[in-house]
Amino acid sequence: MQARIFKNYKILVLSMMMLTVISCSNDDDLSDLNDTIFVRHKNADMPAYIHGNASEKVFLITLHGGPGGLGLDLRVDAFKNRIEKEYAVVYFDQRGSGMSQGSFSENELNIDIMAEDVLALVKVLKHKYGNDARFFLMGHSWGGALGTLTLLKDQDDFLGWIEVDGAHNPKGMYPEYIANFNRVANEQIELENNITYWESIINLVNSVPPTYREKYFFDLNNEAFRAERRLVDNNIINEQINGNNTFFEYNLITALWNNRNIIGIITNQGFWENVSYTDRLQEIEVPSLVLWGKYDMILPATFAKEAYDNLGSAEKKLVIFERSGHAPMLSEADAFVDEILLFMDTYK
Amino acid sequence: MVKYTFIFLLGCTLSGLAQDSIKTKMSFLDRTAFKIGYSGNILWNNGLNFGAEYKWKEILKTKEKKGRQKNVSHQFLFNGNLGITTNFSTKTDTGIFTNYGLTWRRTNPKGKQISIEFNPLGYYRSFLPETYEVQGESVKKVFLPGRGYYAPSLSVGIGKQRKDKKLNAWYLNMNLMLRTPYNAGTLPSIGLQYGYRFNFKKKK
Repeated sequence: MQARIFKNYKILVLSMMMLTVISCSNDDDLSDLNDTIFVRHKNADMPAYIHGNASEKVFLITLHGGPGGLGLDLRVDAFKNRIEKEYAVVYFDQRGSGMSQGSFSENELNIDIMAEDVLALVKVLKHKYGNDARFFLMGHSWGGALGTLTLLKDQDDFLGWIEVDGAHNPKGMYPEYIANFNRVANEQIELENNITYWESIINLVNSVPPTYREKYFFDLNNEAFRAERRLVDNNIINEQINGNNTFFEYNLITALWNNRNIIGIITNQGFWENVSYTDRLQEIEVPSLVLWGKYDMILPATFAKEAYDNLGSAEKKLVIFERSGHAPMLSEADAFVDEILLFMDTYK
Repeated sequence: MVKYTFIFLLGCTLSGLAQDSIKTKMSFLDRTAFKIGYSGNILWNNGLNFGAEYKWKEILKTKEKKGRQKNVSHQFLFNGNLGITTNFSTKTDTGIFTNYGLTWRRTNPKGKQISIEFNPLGYYRSFLPETYEVQGESVKKVFLPGRGYYAPSLSVGIGKQRKDKKLNAWYLNMNLMLRTPYNAGTLPSIGLQYGYRFNFKKKK
């Protein structure tokens, strides 16, 4: 009996030692971070997945699309294999998105508080990795709106801003859908590509009212994704190569439920109808990089020029990817990463 | 709502115990079965579920079919569960939950069972990894981070009795559990429960 107790005691002590070693092994290796931490702010708990090389304490904070997208959706091959080798990348599930949880009212789910969440994330990263940590901010699609507002609130902690096919002017999207669909459809008909489809697009945009209507906004938005697939079929833009499988990282039901909820709430707040940050872009003075797909049907490249022209940064650059749609990080990954790394290397 | 449900269930329990003492001489252990099983949705969340069921009422119905008598039992049982679940890939969805309610179970002469389990009382506590709370300029590490949710659940399932076995029945349920308030609403989660029931009845 005594021997048995002694044997079990040894196993217990060994297990405790192993657990202690495992739980501590990850903490200080800044050159190869693999951390998941949560930021608690204004009744929300939001995960930040931090990967890569933080030996220089330079972090690229990425803001996903949506609203209601997934932080790790941006952790594509190009990021994993190249950017994370040089810098640490923070993939953040925004309030009400992905695996974020919390308890708040619909009034507490708006872009204003979400921008404060991003600033809270910066404070947490500085607390964890030191006050000498430095940050770049990158926003894709909806993340372009969120990143813009974050910088309008406080840009002191950021070395640079990267807008990728971003929605800094949501109010402008509806009329631009109509103009861009007409433009691209006529161009494709001239090239004799998928004529029937593009004629149906012209009919569609001729049938919608010229000013914002929620139903038609989402009809056009959904059609924009289908149109990009047609452009891939006709070899106008490259196929998107992802290499990122988030299937097991997000509970699909939770993620879809969150996505559906937040889109509804943000839409009901009149975001797509009334909000635009274009007039305030001049207040952003940090170095800026504007990256856009020429054939972005979701946020047409008109917005790229608009961002570039209006940003108040003394150092800014606009790059249009000729063979990309809404996700140049997937369709022209190498060129995309080249631009990000050049920008970060220059301004870090 | 929660308060009234609790009062109702408490009333039912007391009434059941009272009836028990008047009508039958079955011991507490004779009326109680325990269960242990898998709970989760296989793809994302996986965990274990432990529980107990206390037989409140049993109605035996005898039917005559093709000249044979068939005994079908309908049981009403109080039940309680304690479970743990996690997503191993990111550990962002780990939690323990407990819920309590009533089960209706029909058992046919072959021992095949169907059951509906309604648990209006439930609590889910999430456990988060390293968490920092930001209030103004202050950043503090949170001790035992996570959140509590009211978590009622409903299960519908099948099962079968296993005569003369220690694990005297298996069950397979489809479970819907809600977590509320979750973000700005109520989060549904769907999972499977597969396991065995056993008891500590005195052998006669």
